[in-house]
Amino acid sequence: MIPVNALLQTAALPTLTQPVIVGVAVGYFVIVALIGAWATRRTRTAKDFFVAGKGIGLIPLTLATMSATLSGFAFIGGPGLMYSLGLGAMFIILPAAITNTMSAWVLAKRMRLLGEVRGLITIPDALRVRFRSPAAQGLAAVAILIAVVGYMATNLLALGLVIDAIFGTGLGWGIWIGMGIILGYSVAGGIMAGIYTDVFQGSLMALSSVLVFMYALKAGGGAGMIRSILDSDPEFFAPWGKLPPLAALSFFFVFGIGSLAQPHVVHKFYMLRDPRRLKWYPMLTSVALMVTLLLFFGVGTATKALVIQGELAPLARPDDATPTFLLRFTPVLLSALVFSGVAAAIMSTVNSFMSIAAAALTHDIPMSIGRRIKDELKWGRIFTVVISIIAAFVAQASGTLVAFLGIFGWGLFASTMVPALAIGLNWKGATREGAIASISLGLVSTLVLETLGYMRVFSLPTGVTVSGISLALSLMVFLAVSWATRGGRGSAIDADVSMVMDT
Amino acid sequence: MMTKRLAISGLVIATTAIVAAYALVFIQGAATNAGAMLMVFGIATMAVSLMTLGAVRTGEKLGVLAFAFVFVFAVLMIGFTLALLLPAGDNAATRLFLGLPPRAAIVVYGIGLLPVFVLPLIYAATFEERTLSEQDLERIKAAAAAHAETQKTGGDR
Repeated sequence: MIPVNALLQTAALPTLTQPVIVGVAVGYFVIVALIGAWATRRTRTAKDFFVAGKGIGLIPLTLATMSATLSGFAFIGGPGLMYSLGLGAMFIILPAAITNTMSAWVLAKRMRLLGEVRGLITIPDALRVRFRSPAAQGLAAVAILIAVVGYMATNLLALGLVIDAIFGTGLGWGIWIGMGIILGYSVAGGIMAGIYTDVFQGSLMALSSVLVFMYALKAGGGAGMIRSILDSDPEFFAPWGKLPPLAALSFFFVFGIGSLAQPHVVHKFYMLRDPRRLKWYPMLTSVALMVTLLLFFGVGTATKALVIQGELAPLARPDDATPTFLLRFTPVLLSALVFSGVAAAIMSTVNSFMSIAAAALTHDIPMSIGRRIKDELKWGRIFTVVISIIAAFVAQASGTLVAFLGIFGWGLFASTMVPALAIGLNWKGATREGAIASISLGLVSTLVLETLGYMRVFSLPTGVTVSGISLALSLMVFLAVSWATRGGRGSAIDADVSMVMDT
Repeated sequence: MMTKRLAISGLVIATTAIVAAYALVFIQGAATNAGAMLMVFGIATMAVSLMTLGAVRTGEKLGVLAFAFVFVFAVLMIGFTLALLLPAGDNAATRLFLGLPPRAAIVVYGIGLLPVFVLPLIYAATFEERTLSEQDLERIKAAAAAHAETQKTGGDR
């Protein structure tokens, strides 16, 4: 079984305190601050703060979706995993070839139109109006909060490591400085600032990924790189790499189907100005993701080949793959761009998390208990600060606890929201009881099984993951309970929501 | 209605296959190829069922979208099955396909890349007719205006 830490950045990076790298990083942070300041002037209402005034174009949507999807893992942990697991690591990103079009068919249109009809701003909002259920909204908001704190903590820890490596600040200060920078533009400009910094950050990520991929091919020796690996470690290029087939397929299942319910990504559908522009969304997003993920495959493979060829010493830790490769085989300016790209990937993801967590506290949980906060903009900003401080403290509790908190974030989103959201918005036979049962089961099973596993009360056999089991069970419960309660009061759908589902 | 019902049946079958794949590991004590094949079938069926559920409107037939969904099912089933069943034993002398040994090429190019050249194009080509037309949008805007009016006059849902 893959250790939890393998998927997360928790160990220190090599020191990067070189004038060019520091200079580019400072320049990057200044640009982010300027974009944030510009976006802040355009943020006047809660709608601006949480859904960018529902006024963004297709290109910003594409780049923001890509940036929010990819955290620092795509640049550091991913290539490291590729280095150690071979092709098996690719099963985390392989589903991207299908998931963007799948999410366009399953979610994009219906969510965007539902947002148009009812003025929705959050994912739990969509569950409330679909199932006429404040309870479904509240439960989904609780799941989001739990997952976000862990997810944000792991990302802040990774950002702290990057800042420490570049500026030599020490990890603790790195975490707080990183959090402070993101908080600066997120509190002031909300998701509006996030979207437009994402455009810059996403472009930087894509550009640096392509350039590094070309250097990886050159340094590794093209086809010679593949042959040297096949000669020395043929398992690396086995279809499942060094994973058992079921473990690799479990990745594909959880990261593929689970992509339909990542709230920090799918809530961006609300923000598109013209829903008819969705026509080109799958193509642009798929290409942007593929291009940006070239580094994942290229650096992991090239580093493996270079170690085999004796050009590099075996890595002390898999996470050293990207920094070691960049510092040895690419111009320092490109290294600097990539390290800023890593920070960009992390910051764009954290900003999205801040936004959905603040919305859960300001909007969803009060609504689920029949209350409305009057000044959602002000309280959105206050809760953004509160959530960020909690996450930063959790990040400082470095080690396996942080890794544990982060690892179930994706699985928790998937098991609590895939059935009710992806199936519920498209199937009129789904019922309120089915939605509540599946969200509750996903929440409880993920938390309990992950916690028991973390406490070593039990361990799952190779190939079986808690997130996979929880998602499958949650789907099964949703379908079974909806079938068992069909025709009851929980089957009712408002006329306008029904019209959206028929469109 | 029939197509939606088929998609839901597909989801039930797919979920059962995935649960069975995990259950087999517990029963047999280790992951086997039979479990992996069940998982492959479950993933392929679930992906296609979800796409069908989302893409087809109530009362519509699959039409041209059937090609897209058959394609996805075939790519996943054939690709993963070949990866499972083709003999191992790649080495430095293995003939490479676009720079990768054949089984790796099937996974990377076949499953990880080929759908990018097909699915988004089909989505874009059928968008007007099957996803969202100008008329659809007009109806939605009218419903939005009606809802806003209800809210303004104190009505609530």
